[in-house]
Amino acid sequence: MSQPIKLSIPSHPKYLGLIRKVLQELLDYHEVPDETARRLILCVDEACSNVIKHGYGGPCEEPIEATFHIDGDDFKVQIRDYGKQCDSSQIKPRCLDQIKPGGLGTHFINEIMDDVSYCTERAKGTLLTMVKKLKRELTSAQEKNKE
Amino acid sequence: MSIELKLDRPAENTVTISVIGDIDMSSSTKVRDILAPLFQENNKAIIVDLSGVSYIDSSGIATLVEGLQWSHSSQSKFRLVSLTPGVKDVFEIARLLTVFEVFDTKEQALAH
Repeated sequence: MSQPIKLSIPSHPKYLGLIRKVLQELLDYHEVPDETARRLILCVDEACSNVIKHGYGGPCEEPIEATFHIDGDDFKVQIRDYGKQCDSSQIKPRCLDQIKPGGLGTHFINEIMDDVSYCTERAKGTLLTMVKKLKRELTSAQEKNKE
Repeated sequence: MSIELKLDRPAENTVTISVIGDIDMSSSTKVRDILAPLFQENNKAIIVDLSGVSYIDSSGIATLVEGLQWSHSSQSKFRLVSLTPGVKDVFEIARLLTVFEVFDTKEQALAH
């Protein structure tokens, strides 16, 4: 895919289903296996939820811009917001030995994605970039199709 | 995206909740709102049927973890049934699959 797909949604949880649907279509089009697609969708949903919760401090109508790019074997997604800038040194997954509600979103993102970076070098907001290398998943799906 | 919640009482002091739809940041509070009072009613078993849920995020997982904690303090059984592959995968990534009592069918959960 040469051109990235761009989508902007208002920062309200009711639009999360829309972004999941668009991404599902895109990953289906590229024949990304179901399990991998589900996990990538989870990461994007969690990233947008974090923007609503922490970046904008709750549901509102501020923009969340998502850019999806499948280039060769790489799936790259960028989530841009214009809210409160995050301190990336404070974004750490919590210890899973403690059974308690909350704090799992960052764990999902770090566990599933191969590369995660937060950039705050801008006047407002944060740019989150997540990359997943799809080669292994695509190869195993192609082998399954051959069988 | 809307979520549908159906409450049923198949036996005395036993409640089943069937959830249909995605459990995400926009709908997990609805699940929480229906779940929380059930732990105040002296129910012996509260069973959540997730066969109609193809997607759950961390807020949905957090709601179910809260349910588990409420079940410990109210001494009710809290069981999950019919996890779809997508939901099961999220529980596995969260390393929570063995923390809950999970059954394949509602009948199995009711029989235990």
